[in-house]
Amino acid sequence: MGMGIEKKLGKSPFRLFGISAICAIVPFGCTPATNLGTSSSPSSLAPNQSGVLVYGSGGSPVNLEPGNITDGNSIIVQDQIYNRLIEIKPGTTDLVPGLAAEWSVSTDGKTWTFKLRQGVKFHDGTDFNAEAVKFNIERWWDPNQPQGYRNEGKIYEIWQQMFGGYKGDPNSLLQDVKVVDTSTIQLRLKQPFAAFPAAIASGFYGIASPTAIKKAGANYGKPGSLAIGTGAFVFKEWRTGDRVVLEKNPHYWRTGLPKTNQLVIRFITDPAARLAQLRAGQIDFTVDLAPDQIKELQADPNLESVPRPSFNVGYLALNPSYAPLAKPEVRQAIAQALNQQAIVKAFWGNLGQNDAHFLPPSLSWATTLSLQPYSFNPPQAKQLLAKAGYPNGFPLELWYMPVSRPYYPTPKPIAESFAADLSAIGIRVTLKTKDWAAYLEDRRKAPGYQAFMMGWTGDFGDPDSFLYAHFGPGGTSDIGNWKNDRVFQLLNQARATSDQTARGKLYAEVDELLHQQALRLPIVHAQPLGAKRKNITGWVPSPLGTEPFESVEKK
Amino acid sequence: MWIYLTKRLLSLLPVLLGITLLVFAFLHLIPGDPAVVLSGERATPEQLASLRTQLGLDQPLPLQYLAFLGNLLRFNLGNSIISGIPIAHEIQTRLPASFELTVSAMLVALVLGIPAGVLAAVQKNRWLDNLTMSSSLIGVSLPVYWLGLLLVYLFAVNLHWLPPSGRLSVEAGFNFQPITGFYVLDALLRLDWRTLADVLVHLVLPALTLGTIPLAIIARITRSAMLEVLSQDYIRTARAKGVPEFRVFFQHALKNALLPVSTVTGLQFGSLLGSAILTETIFAWPGIGSWIYDGILARDYPVVQGGVIFVSIAFVLINLLVDLSYALLDPRIQY
Repeated sequence: MGMGIEKKLGKSPFRLFGISAICAIVPFGCTPATNLGTSSSPSSLAPNQSGVLVYGSGGSPVNLEPGNITDGNSIIVQDQIYNRLIEIKPGTTDLVPGLAAEWSVSTDGKTWTFKLRQGVKFHDGTDFNAEAVKFNIERWWDPNQPQGYRNEGKIYEIWQQMFGGYKGDPNSLLQDVKVVDTSTIQLRLKQPFAAFPAAIASGFYGIASPTAIKKAGANYGKPGSLAIGTGAFVFKEWRTGDRVVLEKNPHYWRTGLPKTNQLVIRFITDPAARLAQLRAGQIDFTVDLAPDQIKELQADPNLESVPRPSFNVGYLALNPSYAPLAKPEVRQAIAQALNQQAIVKAFWGNLGQNDAHFLPPSLSWATTLSLQPYSFNPPQAKQLLAKAGYPNGFPLELWYMPVSRPYYPTPKPIAESFAADLSAIGIRVTLKTKDWAAYLEDRRKAPGYQAFMMGWTGDFGDPDSFLYAHFGPGGTSDIGNWKNDRVFQLLNQARATSDQTARGKLYAEVDELLHQQALRLPIVHAQPLGAKRKNITGWVPSPLGTEPFESVEKK
Repeated sequence: MWIYLTKRLLSLLPVLLGITLLVFAFLHLIPGDPAVVLSGERATPEQLASLRTQLGLDQPLPLQYLAFLGNLLRFNLGNSIISGIPIAHEIQTRLPASFELTVSAMLVALVLGIPAGVLAAVQKNRWLDNLTMSSSLIGVSLPVYWLGLLLVYLFAVNLHWLPPSGRLSVEAGFNFQPITGFYVLDALLRLDWRTLADVLVHLVLPALTLGTIPLAIIARITRSAMLEVLSQDYIRTARAKGVPEFRVFFQHALKNALLPVSTVTGLQFGSLLGSAILTETIFAWPGIGSWIYDGILARDYPVVQGGVIFVSIAFVLINLLVDLSYALLDPRIQY
């Protein structure tokens, strides 16, 4: 049919315009004839069978420049283009070699040596080597590195947040970066930091081609510019607001991968629209659906739900600087008054787990497994309150967030359940909320909120990412600058210990202390909900939030 | 004419200044700041302070506003806080998508709305009139979000007749290189019929969704304008002269009823550019609306400021054009 129109219209541009005008006026009058009538035309209406793998992302990436951005929509694309020195075993938080074939630490725990994989090339044909790694790390860390383009507004703030500061900053964990030979690089730290390999393995730190960065300048990683790594897919095109198109890297160093020749990442902000796209077969797999969409998903025989292992915690913080909450017994009473299991069942279904630990289940090696969550026991809770001097309860302002987060998809009704349970033991709850940015900020202004809902998704696959940030020095300003010398000591000791079993024991003691203190009551470890069409295989979602799609295949 | 135009353009200045002030004030006076949103749960007070300095948010508000105005006068809308991409560039990239959608939606509204209004007027107080007017009442009241999803589920998910969202299918996207960004035009310029078909089917659902409200409004305005014209003396004269009813309606009456319709059309066109926010979000349409939506969620000040100011200016200018078009439609009006 398409050919037919072309022939009939001949060469006159005016006739062409005439047809266009008619088509434009009656868009749906013209199109079915030209599209549906042609069996050979790539119909956009049938499920996409073209062999192109299409991923429905929750939004557009911000940019494709490693180290400069932390949002999941950017990292998921970067995961396809770049490799990191150390990577993650699919579906776990275990470390596996990436661009570093092996790594080791000096006996004082301060010098990390990475032996790099040899013969690897960037997509632009340049060599991957120790100089390239040094170039990347110095961009993030050294404010004077010329290709960091900090004068053009680049910040690399995640480096500061994870590693204490930039070069020259007294709090900077990193002391220096040294190229030993073309395939060996050494990073010297000021203090031992056992979680360093896990931290540098986080999705933020893909290694990019220095040549490409120098060529593209400050525009590197923006739409219309370059994004050159060593990963399974080569960046081809970024259509603003619409899609990123990637193609197989024929020289990928992991032999036999990727399994698909073309990968298209489409940006679809609205979860309902994403699920509709998946059901219509226009995308093959997607993430970040709302928990209540699981019913619709399960009702469609062409789809399968794919829960991501949890790497978050949704908690209820009890601020000891509010007098009634100063005693641990009162906080324990609150823990016993909440029917946590029932609440999790009601709001997350099978996509949430309630346990005794602040750490998510994928980090169970760092917990005391025998620890049981506080059981639902209102009479005992009432007794505890009475013993602590509050036989008639007390008033409590409980803050809930105004936005949906992965760990608390529907904060308000969950807060109402908390309030109902607490009123049964005489605690008179007033529910409060405010704008999200103000909510985040004001909780740290003394005296802080009395009780509030909050949560956390780990930045990297180590207990340190959860525990130090919430219970270490500087991490407790929202719970009245709570300070426990033993906890601080254990957390610092764990940072300085490289043996995993020994670290596990230290963290397990922290786990017990925190359970007894009941300051940030872990309510849920939620599993973000993904989904795929049945003919998609090889997708193993990582607890860390994003993963390479090099093994994903369309059958 | 020229004097009128100059006067009108000058009178726009305070309006535009007011718009910038309102947009700026709204965004900055609501609590919370973008530095916090940027850092999320992670930020500590020291890191926030340094981030604020880098974003210029530690300056007093009036200074921030003056800096913003100064840049605006140099056509510099600033850069996105989050991506660092210049706002002007982003608007330029996304405008064709929004414009194409808006034009399609207006075409839906006009092509269906005017005949519906005429029919309703002709059949006044009979069942066809009641049907048209009650449907248009429903059309005005339907939440766009709900209507969009309903259409998607019906035509894309269940019937597989139309694609659920996007501007172009994945396959068509591989070989199609846009020239102007207006995909319909680009496909025509490249004589690429398959892509043209693909682009047009992708337009149907969003255009219907976005066009529903103006369709309903245009139908209602056409009806009442027609009824007014039909009661005029010259219509009676025409009928007395034996002019066929068809010609009475379409040649004598409709032509004169179009003046209020053109006013409403202009207003609707302007407001569609802005109200496409929801439609573009539901249909993953890479236009200005979905961009503003993302900017609001991320509290990306420059994006929201730039987007809203751009849409407001477009709205004001379109209204000016509508006013000027009166002279063409009605020879009695002269500026």
